[in-house]
Amino acid sequence: RLEEVPLEVLRQRESKWLDMLNNWDKWMAKKHKKIRLRCQKGIPPSLRGRAWQYLSGSKVKLEQNMGKFDELDLLTGDPKWLDVIERDLHRQFPFHEMFVSRGGHGQQDLFRVLKAYTLYRPEEGYCQAQAPIAAVLLMHMPAEQAFWCLVQICEKYLPGYYSEKLEAIQLDGQILFSLLHKVSPVAYKHLSKQKIDPILYMTEWFMCAFSRTLPWSSVLRVWDMFFCEGVKIIFRVGLVLLKHTLGSSDKLKSCQGQYETMERLRALSPKIMQEAFLVQEVIELPVTERQIEREHLIQLKKWRETHGELQCKSPPRLHGAKAISEAEPAPRKALEPVPSIIVSPGPAPVPKARKSKEKSREKGPASPANGPGAEGNGAPGTTRELLHPQVSPHHQSKESLSSRESEDTYL
Amino acid sequence: MQKHNQKEHLYKLLVIGDLGVGKTSIIKRYVHQNFSPHYRATIGVDFALKVLNWDAETVVRLQLWDIAGQERFGNMTRVYYREAMGAFIVFDVTRPATFEAVTKWKEDLDSKLVLPNGKPVPTVLLANKCDQGIDVLMNNGIKMDQFCKENGFVGWFETSAKENININEASRCLVKHIIASESDPVQSIEPDIIKPHLNSSKIVSCSACFKS
Repeated sequence: RLEEVPLEVLRQRESKWLDMLNNWDKWMAKKHKKIRLRCQKGIPPSLRGRAWQYLSGSKVKLEQNMGKFDELDLLTGDPKWLDVIERDLHRQFPFHEMFVSRGGHGQQDLFRVLKAYTLYRPEEGYCQAQAPIAAVLLMHMPAEQAFWCLVQICEKYLPGYYSEKLEAIQLDGQILFSLLHKVSPVAYKHLSKQKIDPILYMTEWFMCAFSRTLPWSSVLRVWDMFFCEGVKIIFRVGLVLLKHTLGSSDKLKSCQGQYETMERLRALSPKIMQEAFLVQEVIELPVTERQIEREHLIQLKKWRETHGELQCKSPPRLHGAKAISEAEPAPRKALEPVPSIIVSPGPAPVPKARKSKEKSREKGPASPANGPGAEGNGAPGTTRELLHPQVSPHHQSKESLSSRESEDTYL
Repeated sequence: MQKHNQKEHLYKLLVIGDLGVGKTSIIKRYVHQNFSPHYRATIGVDFALKVLNWDAETVVRLQLWDIAGQERFGNMTRVYYREAMGAFIVFDVTRPATFEAVTKWKEDLDSKLVLPNGKPVPTVLLANKCDQGIDVLMNNGIKMDQFCKENGFVGWFETSAKENININEASRCLVKHIIASESDPVQSIEPDIIKPHLNSSKIVSCSACFKS
């Protein structure tokens, strides 16, 4: 059931969003909290696609890489990936009018976007879970824009989720489970007792950012918040769903066995997925980026003890729009005086060194300076090797941001 | 009405095989008796439950685990396979590459999962989409029998989820072998196959030989 926003309110929101989009850098630098609040209230449908591009930084990315998508679009692609992608084209939102007809525009664009990604990141190729993500994007923007938005999701928001070994998603499964211990001890105990590994229920949730799990209106609200606040939102949605499905002895009565429990998690109650309820619960759930990062380090250590080094090294993830815009400022911004809000109390020379690398790698595709780790198309070869989130400049600035943010409640 | 002396079995069955061979369609046909060309690609794992009235005294409940076919999800199969009692490995008769992947799936399965008695789980091979009229692989049943014997499949079936061909039969075959392997955990259920390494008395006599 769709939550009806009164037309008057909707028009007001639209004009507020238009003002924000037209002065985006200023809003991002000075009134980020207000942006966040407005994302939590829901982005007006008419501006959603544009807003997602601004929030994710894909708009900047596209401007920095003019013509890149067209270039990739003209290439044939590796038959190994094309075969798999083609098999998936008719299996994404098969009842959505955009994707319903074989070879129709929706499916064609989906093919172009996914193929372009395999050419952009040949070492990652194509993962089936990318298709629903790309499909949701295509419902809101043209193929080129959707491509860069997908790039931002795969590299900034959920790095490593779709790469060969699927290690990042398994790690996040462990992080989710550990966070559940605090959020709902009852649910945690039940899942432990039933020996239900997190990857049995959270793989599709997280890899598809709930796009195949929640009712459509809830998907959009969750994505609005996700683009603004990052993976924290995905964790919170997962925790809210677990808590309200398995969080009391009363609820557990009907799922005594392992299979019954998994059935219950697969067929979630519509009540807890309903837009207004879910969004409110997600906003109120006290799970912070800091907690997630701390748990990440703990689980990474455990992973190394049991599995050895990670095989796919991903860049550190960025927690939302603010962190992304700080890590990748628009080129012209470098000339402006740096706003004080970005200044990080962490090791000062690091962000600077990174900035210069950022610049050099935008210059040309085959820059030999990038070294063997670079893929030749603007991959941050240096950040890819950074495994410890705490040594990353992004996280330094992020930590300082969150503490600063709690102060500026006047916004 | 259930009889009071009815026995109930619960088996976890895996359905594995390459991407797009029709694993989900087979399960939907078997459990919900319908077919749609509009199933979504499976991400991770999916589940379904089928209840079989096996005979007058026995009810068999089958948990069917529908496992994503893309290779990279193979990094999670150890968790999916845990405590399974049997498996279907599916390929698409119209795509030879999916048949070539069958041995790879079998090896993955056997390397990560054995029954409590140390034997591999009973596995049935499904040659799906047989309604498509492209019978490249199937025109030689003897070859398929040979393939199954060599690769440790308990049987094979040409199936069609679309036309509902042989799915019930394949399932009955698998369940039959699971029940047999449960009730007779030591002896091989195929008397014509000799497995000397499973015969413990022989090992004893051998080592005795060696000693003397």
